[in-house]
Order: sequence, then structure tokens, then C-alpha cells
Amino acid sequence: MSPIIQGIITVIIGVGGCIGYFYLSNLILDRVIFPPRNDDNGRNINRATMVRPWLFLFPAIFALGLYLVYPVVGSFWRSLFNRSGNEFIGMGNYATMFGEEGFRQALFNNFLWVLVVPAACTFMGLLVAQLTDRLRWGNIAKSLIFMPMAISFVGASLIWKFVYANDPEIGIINAVRDSFGMAPIDVMQIPFWNNFFLMIILIWIQTGFAMVILSAALRGIPEETIEAAIIDGANPFQIFFKIKVPQIVGTIVVVWTTITILVLKVFDIVYAMTGGNFDTEILPSYMMDYMFRDDGRATAVAFVIMVIVLPVMIFNIRQARKEMH
Amino acid sequence: MDNIAGTKSGLVWATNLSVIFLVILWLVPTIGLLVSSFRDREQISESGWWRAPFAVEQAFRINPEPEGVVQEGDLYVLEGNLFGDAGSGAVAGFGITSRAPGAAEPGMVYARFIVDVEEPDGTIDDTRLELAYPADGEPIFPAQDEDGNTILAETAVLDRALQVEANGDFRYLSDSEIDRAPTIYITAETPPEFSLENYDTILTSDNMDRAFINTLTVTIPATIIPICIAAFAAYALAWMDFAGRGFLIAMIVGLLVVPLQLALVPLLQLHNRIGIGQSFLGIWLAHTGFGLPLAVYLLRNYMVGLPRDIIESAKVDGATDFQVFTKIVLPLSFPALASFAIFQFLWTWNDLLVAKVFLPSNSESWVMTVKIADDLLGSRGGDWGILAAAAFISIAVPLVVFFAMQKYLVRGLLAGSVK
Amino acid sequence: MKTRLYTGAALLALTASLAHAQDLVVPVGEGDYNWDSFNSFADAHDLSGETLEITGPWTGLDAENVEKVLAYFEEATGATVNYSGSDSFEQDIVISTRAGSAPNVAVFPQPGLAEDLASQGLLTPLPEGTADWMRENYAAGQSWVDLGTYEGEDGNEDYYGFFYKVDVKSLVWYSESAFDEMGYDVPETMEELKELTEQIVDDGGTPWCIGLGSGAATGWPATDWVEDMMLRTQSPEVYDQWVANEIPFDDPAVVEAIEEFGWFAKNDEYVQGGASAVATTDFRDSPAGLFAIPPECYMHRQASFIPTFFPEDNDAAFFYFPAYEEKDLGNPVLGAGTLWAITDPSDAATALIDFLKEPIAHEIWMGQSGFLTPHTGVDTALYADDTSRALGDVLLNATTFRFDASDLMPGEIGAGAFWTGMVDYVTGAEASDVAADIQARWDSIQ
Repeated sequence: MSPIIQGIITVIIGVGGCIGYFYLSNLILDRVIFPPRNDDNGRNINRATMVRPWLFLFPAIFALGLYLVYPVVGSFWRSLFNRSGNEFIGMGNYATMFGEEGFRQALFNNFLWVLVVPAACTFMGLLVAQLTDRLRWGNIAKSLIFMPMAISFVGASLIWKFVYANDPEIGIINAVRDSFGMAPIDVMQIPFWNNFFLMIILIWIQTGFAMVILSAALRGIPEETIEAAIIDGANPFQIFFKIKVPQIVGTIVVVWTTITILVLKVFDIVYAMTGGNFDTEILPSYMMDYMFRDDGRATAVAFVIMVIVLPVMIFNIRQARKEMH
Repeated sequence: MDNIAGTKSGLVWATNLSVIFLVILWLVPTIGLLVSSFRDREQISESGWWRAPFAVEQAFRINPEPEGVVQEGDLYVLEGNLFGDAGSGAVAGFGITSRAPGAAEPGMVYARFIVDVEEPDGTIDDTRLELAYPADGEPIFPAQDEDGNTILAETAVLDRALQVEANGDFRYLSDSEIDRAPTIYITAETPPEFSLENYDTILTSDNMDRAFINTLTVTIPATIIPICIAAFAAYALAWMDFAGRGFLIAMIVGLLVVPLQLALVPLLQLHNRIGIGQSFLGIWLAHTGFGLPLAVYLLRNYMVGLPRDIIESAKVDGATDFQVFTKIVLPLSFPALASFAIFQFLWTWNDLLVAKVFLPSNSESWVMTVKIADDLLGSRGGDWGILAAAAFISIAVPLVVFFAMQKYLVRGLLAGSVK
Repeated sequence: MKTRLYTGAALLALTASLAHAQDLVVPVGEGDYNWDSFNSFADAHDLSGETLEITGPWTGLDAENVEKVLAYFEEATGATVNYSGSDSFEQDIVISTRAGSAPNVAVFPQPGLAEDLASQGLLTPLPEGTADWMRENYAAGQSWVDLGTYEGEDGNEDYYGFFYKVDVKSLVWYSESAFDEMGYDVPETMEELKELTEQIVDDGGTPWCIGLGSGAATGWPATDWVEDMMLRTQSPEVYDQWVANEIPFDDPAVVEAIEEFGWFAKNDEYVQGGASAVATTDFRDSPAGLFAIPPECYMHRQASFIPTFFPEDNDAAFFYFPAYEEKDLGNPVLGAGTLWAITDPSDAATALIDFLKEPIAHEIWMGQSGFLTPHTGVDTALYADDTSRALGDVLLNATTFRFDASDLMPGEIGAGAFWTGMVDYVTGAEASDVAADIQARWDSIQ
């Protein structure tokens, strides 16, 4: 029973600590360090305003710095060393990697994934969110589409095995082909297109994510704008594309970005379905092949992945700038 | 007006139908998993899950005990019922080799003869010939065997014969002594079979309750703490003006993509150095760190979209940032908080890797995923039935959370109407 | 408050001792087990109050069995042993040793991984004299010592790994009744095996079930095939050179072995589902075809662990994967084994290694299932069933014993390029191209 009590105590300490930290630090800032006294009232308020964001940000920056930035910096340093970590080889790992056919294949496949999966998830998510928005059984429909989100990747790979399997007794695709008298086909071995069959699994899982976020955003659209459009005689499609979509464009970008980043991290599906064979390797699964064996190479792959995100980062900064003004 | 009403109801129909279509499309694989979770490993690899509700004709091998053998003339005879004393069952066909397990219908006799054949060049050879004939009739030998040799029917000697009735009564004749169990094949319709065995295996395994509690102990703080921290940071990044804001946002987007595996070894080393070691505290901190970028990113983007005039008018009225945050922004951000809470809960709930690295490896501190992966699946990794059941057990709690949270997601409506 | 604490402690002690008593599968002193070895070990060691952490690759039934063995160690010494098994042991042990939270003892399924850790100074050499003991008391002792001797961080060679529990891989499984009905005889030579394969096709059947699927490890069953073929076409010395990359992977000898495997696996008529199904059929599902009615195939080449994955109702039997009569290379046997190494030294860890030398440590598991040992001082009558004893005979009749090559090669090759190369090969690539690719990968890590 002790873990329960321990858990409850931690929740209280953790949450209480968080709130306490924010409340007290604000209090101290306002009352003790920069009290708005008569003589230097204005100056102190300004000073407090300059400090306060950092109070709000400190725990997050601390945790991010410790748990992500520190390992990343360490890893980058590691990627400049050889396999056993005792010889500095500069960009050597990167150079050998780009010279390798397997890596280039993984890179190419990864671009396919990054282009297709986020677009498909966002589109499907938006479609479901809009269609179910005013539906009486919308919540049930949403829950059912959300369900794959809750299945672990391994469970998901298992169930898709029952869809893709070669044996018409097990795989539903081949069962259908069989009933039309066609020979069974192993979809995991069809060159190039097998990538798309793997992507479908991730799309199936992640549409729920896009749907939940976009659905919340759709609900947040002020009723007046829609009512005004209806009065102006706009048809449902116009309302959707001209009124609703522009208002949630920010959220769409967020969903798109999040799924793009997820695509760059998920290795489980490729790992469990094909093990990277039949030219389906993507960068995260390629990295896992080296992880804990050749850390120099593995970390180098991680940094290639981070470089791929660069355009997404820049786009988001631009977006953030626009919002500020 | 009628026209508009008509298109409107047509649209409603179209919406309903397309949602039904999408839901079915999404559900088919999940149903497959659900059905599979009620079947055992052999059934799963034998027939597709869509055939699970139907009776299938299956072949069985039965080796009846050679007890009570009597001698009739030159032949030895064994009689009995294939289903034991109970004698219930419906034999659809029977045979004596696994190549043709249903070669004869119940009531017939299926026999193997050793018979001489004459090959086209005149040499005489003997071969085995199997055929079925009515119990009250005589075997009729074909003129030629499958290789085109002429069968000399008069040389036929019975090797063994089998007669099986639909109810399982059988009579087995052999020209040699029956000292070990003869092999009899039958085919029979087997009714669909579902069992809760997989669920039983998982739920009643040792320490499963402990694992469940451990999972909750990990997930709840690991969900709430990052939300708390992220909410404040997100507010600062969305509504406070300070140097370096753009840079921080970019950093957070960049950190989103850091692969977890990169951080495991350095962080565990750090935990060991500062004395946290492998413990619940360690895993809470780890999940907090790993979940923060997305939390900050999602929440900031939501908060930026809140109506500017509410916040500015509150500030004009003399509210401090802290008050604006707790009184206005936080309640308005509930849908975003709720949706992130769901996702963070899901990830920590289904997480295997972080739990294995940051928790001690003894069975006392196993979470459910570790318990299932290492203890239940383990060397029986091919037991798809258990895997399917495990997937459904682990789905249950997140779904409840989703349903509970859905109410709050709807609060977004309020956010709109405040304006 | 205090009394409550005491009762709690007493209760805890009580349940602990109860669990203890239950854990011993055979009460001390009963049966033909070598209790002398147990008693003398118990007299020599007292580790009361000490805790020993062990991690290993065994889960499920194997984990239960190893815990049964360890219970005797607890009984003899009074120490508490925590064994935890994991499917992803290879990854876990690297993380925990590097992070400084290693268990006391780790059980490695692959010598290659242990060698890697030893070279980083993460393993502790076994007590002096262990290697000598192994030479004297294990069948083919020197080869076991060689497999457990690595270069440490300082460049000195030391003996690190104690082999305990061995698997035999050169086995072909079949259904007895299926062979009986078709009148097939167990082949004694590779020539006969190939004849039988062709005969089964002539009779309208499918001879082999081969499945390489294994998630991320897809392809590994093929490496065993190639290794077995290597031992059947080349001398053991060539095999050793291959393992050490002293002959390149694309040497004609290796390419020939791969093509020997291809003779079986790349012929649509010889394998269930056709050659293209080989690459994706899960290795755990593939033997099911042996016992299907009508049979989907007649033979399945796999190591001694595979019966765990057979359907419950089976009449499985096995025969030794035979050697070519004409090549005159004797009866080579391919095997694997787990080695125990000390990752965090303590008295209890050293004592455990001593315990593994005692016959009783082997006999207890022999009396369970799935255990073979090269220890010459054990009573083979204690094997739980005839199958295990017969498997032991395969081990004893071996004129050559070689360890699974892929386990000895560097991880990127033996658990990477070799696997994927084999998948490429069965799905259409040429043996020479595949071998050249693997060699290129090997060159890149040297």
C-alpha cells in the first residue's frame, strides 16, 4: 500500500510545491524585492515585470535544461567520437553515414513519412472533428476513432499483422483478394508502396490526436462569426473553409508540427512490422540499430533527425513572431 | 424554403453516413484485436478473426487406447467410441492418414489394401491402395492406379480398415496385432470458441494488482506535475513580453524532437550521482522532463489564441500577471489542459522504455507494461492472444479517462461565448 | 506503534521463510541428486543478510526454473537473490552498467555483448582458478574457456564468463505420425536429407517450414542455417576464421554455405507458402505446420528451445541435422549458451559462481525442462525426459562443437547486417552480393 500513499503525497507535494512556488515567488517579488512604494513606484513595477517571466519560466527551463538540453549537448559531443568513444573523429560518423546506401534509403523513406503522415492525420482529424461537431452521437464516434491512440504501438503492430498477413486465413487483405480468386500478396514486400502500408498504421493511431485538438479548437470558434455567415447565406462548405478553417489555422499548424515531430521519433512500427527490411527503414529505426552498440553513429543519426526539424522550427518561430504583433 | 430544408436534411444524412463509414473503417482493426483477445494462440494462427463467430470444420487426430482388442478370424478388431464414454459429437468425415483426414463419410468403411499391380512393362509390384465403400457393400477396385498401372484386384489383402459412425462409434480392423494406439483422423464441425482465459492469465497473475498500483503511482504525478509547470511557462511565453522569447519558443520546438533514447544513460547516471537512483521520484522527474516540451508548446499555442481584450482589460484594472493567469487564463485553457492531460496520461500509461530504465528491476516495482512484456509475454512472445488481451486491458483506463475528460473538452464552448 | 512494527516485521519474516520453504522443488536430501555437493557448499558459505541482484534474458518458464535453482543457493548461504528477466536484456544491461546501476551478476545470451562490456571495463574477471576448473570439468572445456575469455579495458586477457545452460541448434523437428504414415525414415546424412526433401515433393507434400520473422530481429533463424551449413561444408578452422573475419564474409566458402541454405529456402516447392513467405512468417508460428492436419510441411530446423512454441497437442520428435557423408567432416554440432559474468563484484557474486560449479546447480534444472549442460560431473539420469537426454546425446556425440557464429560476431554484424542480409537473400538477392554487403559493413566498423 505504501506506493499509493507515497503517490498521493507526491502529488500533493509536487502540485502544492508548484503552486506554492509560483504564488510565493510572486508575492516575494511584489512585496519584498520591488515593493511599489511611493517614491520609486513606476520603476519597481517595471523591474518586477522584467523579472516575473523568468519566475514563471524557471521550473520549465530548469527541467528542460537538465532532462533534454544536457543530454543533447553531451550526445552531440559523443557523435564526434568513434564507436568506442576514445577517438575524436570530428564529422567522421556523419561522413560514413551519408556514404551508406542504407542510410540514404532511410532518409528518403523518412521524407516520405514526414510528407504523408502529418498531412493525412491532420486532414482526417479535421474531417472527423467537423463532421462530428454537431452530431448527436458525435462523442461516441470520436471516442471510437480516438481508441487507437490508447493502444500501445506493439498492440497496434499486432492488429495490423491481422490485416496485412500473407496467409489469407489470417490477413484480411489477402482474405478479400482470395475471395476474388487473386493470389495472396505480401504487402510488406511490395517495393516502395510497403512504406505507405506502414504509414497507414501511424495515421490510424494519430488521427485521434489531431481530432481531439482540432475539435477543441472548432468548439472555441465564436458563434457570432458563424451566425453572421449563415445570415449572409453562406453554404456549409463556405462556412467551413472560409470562416472556420482560417480561425483555427494556428491550431492546425500545432497539430501538423506535433505529428511531424512524432513521425521523426517513432521507430516501433517499422521495428515490429518489418524490422527495417524490404527497404522500409526510417531514421529512428536506423538509429535504434546502432543505439547502445555504436553510440557515435546513433547520436549522429539523432542530430540528422534534429536538422530535419529545422524548417519546422523556423516556421514556428515566424508564426510566434506574427502572433506577438 | 422547402428546398433549403431538403438540402439540409440531405446534408445531415451525408454527415451521418460518412461518420459511420469512417468509424467502421477505424474500428475494423480494433475489433480484430478485440476478437483475437478471446481466442487462443492456435485459433488465432489457424483462421482469420472474422471467421471466429462461425463453426469451422477441423481435423483431429485421435489415438484410442488399444484396450479390449478381440481376434476375428485373421483380423484383430478394436471397438469403442472416439469421444470416450460420453459418445457425443458429430463426425463429418474420417480417415487413416493425416493427408486425407476426412476421406470417408460416417457409416462407410475406409480400408487400406496391399495389392499387386502390373506395370506397363509387365513387372509386378505391390502398392498400397486406400478406398472407401459402404459398410454393407464390397470394395470396388479401380482398374488402374494413379500411375497408370493395372490393378490386380484378386491379389488384394486387407491391411487395415476403419468404420466410424457419426456419433463416434468406431470399429478398427487390422491384420496385425494392435499393440499400440492406432491413429484415427476425423473431421468435425467445431463451434466457435471464445474464452476469457487470456484475460484471466493477465489479471490473476501474481502481483498484477501491485503492478496496477505502480502504474497509477507513476502516471498520475507524471501527468499533473508537467502540466503545472508547463501552464506557467506557456503563459509567460504567450502573454509576457521579454527578451529572448522567440528564442525560447524555438528551443522548445527543437527539444520536441530529441529522441528519448539519447537521454537515458546520461540521466540515469545523473540520478545515481545525486542519490535518486532508480526510484519513483526518478521516473516522475524523467516523465516531467520528457513531457514538458510538448506541454509547453501545445498550451502556449492555445493561450495565444485567447481573446486579447479580456486579458488586457484585466491588466488595466490592476490585476497582476499572477491573478490574470489563475483567474482568467487557466479556466479558459481548460480544454487544452484536458487534452494534454489525456495525451500525457496515455504516454506514461503505455510507456515501457522509461519505466524499465528509471525504475528498479525487481518485481516489486514493475508497472503493468513491464509486467506484461517481461513476465507474461516473455519467452512466449508469440502468444498473440495474451498480447491482444493485454492491449485491451491497458486500453480500458485511458478510455475511462478520455470519457471523463470529454466533458471538459466541451468547455471550449464557454471560452468562445465569454467574448 | 513499536509493537505494531515488530509484528509487521515478524509477519514479513514468516512469509519470507514460508516462501523459502516452498521454493525448493526437491527437499534437500531426497532423490539421486548430488546432495553432497550442496551440503559442502552450504557449510563453506554463509552470506546471511546479503542480497544478490541478477538479471538475465530468461522470462516465463525459464525464469521460474532459474529461480528454482537459485532457491538452493539462498537455502545454502542465507543470502537473498533477486532474479529479474527481460526480453530486452541486451539493451537493459548496457544502460544499467553504463549508468552505474548494474546488477551483481548478469547472464549473457551472447558472448559478443559480454566481450564488448569487458573491453569497456564493465565486467569483473572471475576468481582465479575458475578457468582451470572449467577445463577439467566441462566437456570440451577449453573451448568454453576460450569463449569466456576477453580483453579487459587494460588490454589484459582474463576469464570473465561462466557458461551455464547450453542449447543445441543442429536439430530438425518433425511429427512422428506424419513420418510414419508416409513411410519416411530419419535421414542419416545430408545427402539423404536432400533426397527426402525431393521425395516429399514427389509425394505431393511440402518438405520444410521455415520462418525468419522475429520483429526487429527478423532474419536470425537463417543465420543458424548458414552456420550449420558452414560446419557441414568447411572445416571447423575455416568456421573460426569466418567468425573472426580472418576470411572475408564474401569468401567463396561462406557464399557456398549461404547457397546451401538457399537450396532449401529459395525453392517454392520446398518451403511452406513459397520462398517469399519465408521472410515474413514468424519463427514462432512456423513450426505449427508440422502438426497441422493435413500436414503443411514435414520438417523444421530449429534449436532445442522451439518446443515451447509447438501447439499443445503434438507428437514432435527430432533428429540431428546431418552432415554430408562425402565431405567427411564428422558430426559437427552448432550450439549456443548463456554465460554468467560479474557486473558488480560482491562476496555473494563470487559465491554464486562457485555454486554454479557444483553438480547440484545443474541437476536441479536438469530435473525441470529445457536445460542441457556440458558439466561432466552430473548424473544424466536426472534429465526430466527422454527428449532432453536425447538432446544431451547429440551434444555428447558431437565430434565438433561450435558456438553460434552470429552471437560471436560484433553486434552490428551478428545482430544486424547478417540478419537483414539473410532477409534480402531469401527475397531474391544473390548470395555473393549479400555477403559482399555484410563484409562492407564489417569493414566500416573496424
